[in-house]
Amino acid sequence: MALSSFFRSSRNVFSAAILLRAVFLVYGHFQDAFSPMKYTDIDYYVFTDAARFISRGKSPYARDTYRYTPLLAWFIYPTTWPGFWFSFGKVLFAIGDIVAGWMMFRILRTYQKMPQEQALKFASIWLLNPMVATISTRGSSEGLLGVIVIALLWAVLSKRAELAGVLLGFAVHFKIYPFIYATSIVWWLDGSRLGQKKTTRPEISSGLATQIRQFANRDRIVLTIYSLATFMGLNLAMFSIYGVPFVEHSYLYHVIRSDHRHNFSPYNTLLYLNASPKDSGIASSSLRLERLAFLPQILLSTVMIPLALAKKDLPSTMLAQTFAFVTFNKVCTSQYFLWYMMFLPFYLPSSTLLRSHSIGITSLVLWIVGQVAWLQQGYQLEFLGRSTFVSGLWLSSIFFFLVNVGILSVIIRDVKEKDNIAADLPAASKKVRK
Amino acid sequence: MKQRITYIVHNADDFNPNQLEIKAASIKLNKVKAAKEQRVTFGLSELPGELRKALEQWHELHIRWASERPYTAIPPFTSLMSPGLHVFFTPQKDVSEGPLCTLLQAFFGSDLRCEDPKKAFTQLPILSERFSMSATSQYYAYLPSLSYLVESIRNNICVSLPGKASCPLLAARLLSATYVDMDYDAISHALVINAFWNKPISAGGWNEHIELIGKDDAIEIGVLNHEPNPDPEDIAFSGFLTVLGEDTAPKPTRFQTPTRHYPMSSSLTYKASFSHPTGLHPTLVLSLPVKELKPPNSSCKLHAHLTFPSYLFIDKYQFSDPLFLSSHNLISLRSLSGATDLEAPDWVIPAWGSAALFQLAVPTSSELKFGIEGSDWNATIPVHLRYLPATDASHTSVPIPWPVLFWACRAEEGTKMAVNPFDRLHLGYEALFGPKTRFMHIPPEPTGNGTGALVEWIDVPVLDLRKTGWVEGGTVGVVVLAFAWLCWVLFGKGFGSGGAKKGVEKGKKMQ
Repeated sequence: MALSSFFRSSRNVFSAAILLRAVFLVYGHFQDAFSPMKYTDIDYYVFTDAARFISRGKSPYARDTYRYTPLLAWFIYPTTWPGFWFSFGKVLFAIGDIVAGWMMFRILRTYQKMPQEQALKFASIWLLNPMVATISTRGSSEGLLGVIVIALLWAVLSKRAELAGVLLGFAVHFKIYPFIYATSIVWWLDGSRLGQKKTTRPEISSGLATQIRQFANRDRIVLTIYSLATFMGLNLAMFSIYGVPFVEHSYLYHVIRSDHRHNFSPYNTLLYLNASPKDSGIASSSLRLERLAFLPQILLSTVMIPLALAKKDLPSTMLAQTFAFVTFNKVCTSQYFLWYMMFLPFYLPSSTLLRSHSIGITSLVLWIVGQVAWLQQGYQLEFLGRSTFVSGLWLSSIFFFLVNVGILSVIIRDVKEKDNIAADLPAASKKVRK
Repeated sequence: MKQRITYIVHNADDFNPNQLEIKAASIKLNKVKAAKEQRVTFGLSELPGELRKALEQWHELHIRWASERPYTAIPPFTSLMSPGLHVFFTPQKDVSEGPLCTLLQAFFGSDLRCEDPKKAFTQLPILSERFSMSATSQYYAYLPSLSYLVESIRNNICVSLPGKASCPLLAARLLSATYVDMDYDAISHALVINAFWNKPISAGGWNEHIELIGKDDAIEIGVLNHEPNPDPEDIAFSGFLTVLGEDTAPKPTRFQTPTRHYPMSSSLTYKASFSHPTGLHPTLVLSLPVKELKPPNSSCKLHAHLTFPSYLFIDKYQFSDPLFLSSHNLISLRSLSGATDLEAPDWVIPAWGSAALFQLAVPTSSELKFGIEGSDWNATIPVHLRYLPATDASHTSVPIPWPVLFWACRAEEGTKMAVNPFDRLHLGYEALFGPKTRFMHIPPEPTGNGTGALVEWIDVPVLDLRKTGWVEGGTVGVVVLAFAWLCWVLFGKGFGSGGAKKGVEKGKKMQ
């Protein structure tokens, strides 16, 4: 079959991935030129405006709603040059996509020992995914984040602790949330993976000092030092150049934002309810429990999931962490889905979602139905002016949350079932080989 | 106290000087069908102590209130503003604003959203540097009636004005005023209150008896008729002037003056509306008949000045794309000032709102030629609503005043406009133009929004508190249960640690 022979050659897949993005870029260029409805993402105008401020020696934060590190504006500095250079950022993000896809392919080949054809098929979940290609060619910076996070994973798996530390520090500086990966990576970097003899059981009796010494192995220390140094170094550098606005917009904003506008998060209606000023006559009966919303989120994504799963399968653990982080977040929009989508190629091959068609298809259908239901309510609110906050939006966000929790429990169970060494060949690969 | 009262008769043929009866220190008007402007000037010493103290610490204060009822403007009173209460203010250098908000609330309504003048007022943009007449900050509130002001004047001002039995009666007349201006500045040290009525309060015309009371008072009365066709940039009047106590008979007069706000000769009107459904991103539609939308002369550009209360805002970044602008029949967003945060809900915005000036596109000559009689030219302005506080209803209705539309034209006699005795300044948009600018206002459609008001009401969807009983418990419960479930999946015995499967994997590893 033409389709099956297509996936035999990496040149085919990567050419198609590049072509897909090139077509989108050119198409977007024409839509922007001839239609008042722009293909280009609003955020891209924010980035390019910020880059223009930088080119005039001003702060990128002179642009309203620029909430990123100044480095992003510097990366796309050429967009301030005339003519086609305006699209430089999109090209950069699209290249980031492709490189991320290449690293996924290499990780699948090298560390999951997958045959070429199958690795290409799974990498295509990212590479040939129209949603991924659209997001980067519309000029959203999530694509750039993808390449950083996948590079981090690759650096860890190939035991380049220094590089992994630098990438981790950089990723957190860039987008904050990748800090969740620190615990799983540290936990994963135990002695057995560093070529030492696997001696977990007999050492139970040894003293606390020995245990600490064993825990604090070279890679863990190197990773910690390099990531902290990178993170703090970048922050200090940015702070020294751009001052308080940098801290305010890149970090504090995300802490103090009220997130009252409707989004996929289950907390959304509650946040609007409790942020909204009440008539002074009515005593507030609310305990404002939403202030504790970070607890389940952080416990799951940075403590419990890494501790329970990281040693079994790092990439799938990172998927579960991200999934938990996004699902339990106080704000959730569809761009956040990309954060976990980049780990799907590593998890899916041996997953229940693919092995059991009923579970897999049900999960996918429910995931889509949850979003469609929410979007339908959101449309009614946003464009028809119906007050769908309760019950419509609230119930659909709770439903979508439960669907995500269900999928997350499938993922967790799958990873938990794996043995400590994650080198098992995916079940699906056997079929291919016959 | 000085007064200048001007009547502009609606129809010169309806008036003869016999309708004026002049005595030693009084005048009587009989059924004068006219628009009326009454300008009262108080010296600081004539004002109650509290008000005087407040005014003395300010550099300038200009209050403009405009009724939401549409009217036919009559020269020289052709300038227009969005309906509601506008305040333009400049503090003294290095002196605090003092009780500005408190006084505004005391006079215009205790529910005015104004806590701290520093936050409630917004900086007024000045595009034209040379135009130094502008105040530095601006405030606006939707205020359909001056009833609160009338009560406050009766209770606070009338009682302390010596021997002014007519004070409460005069104050009550403000209820039917078309617009009211109040001006104070540190140079003149005087408070000028200027009220305008576009038509007589009673159907038969003005029947008034005006007399001098205080010995330091001065009253000048003019009954004028607007004369058409003077020099191109001037307006001309003829009629009678009377200074009470000096003149025994009306003195005939004739004069002409350059004017900043020039009357328009065409019958062009505009209509403002929001396209439905409004949702959270309403579109303001400004409609004008295509056939009549011709610039009065080639230097004239069509502008709309918008006053948006804080629950509505403009995303200025939308208006940088030429294709987007032209698809909305806009030329450019010339100015935007005030509360323009793109994300904040209404309850965290301390400022009154924002003001915007757009230049609108006009039909091309071929569009004018082939435009269908009676069809409209629509300029559309996409705006966004902020989230409003949750309440015991599904929607909160909010008012948005109609914008003002005008042609801004080049004027040769710019600097002489100030000699016009009826020159009206501080309307919020003059400072956005050069001094040699002449404004030709397009009147709003007389029917307004359908109920005869120049204001649009939008129903904003809000969280309905009658239905939120389950939200807190439900959300927290679901999250806690989900968290507990995931804990069990992660660490529970017997879940997912199927022995058989584990065995298979171990077997595989040993291969």
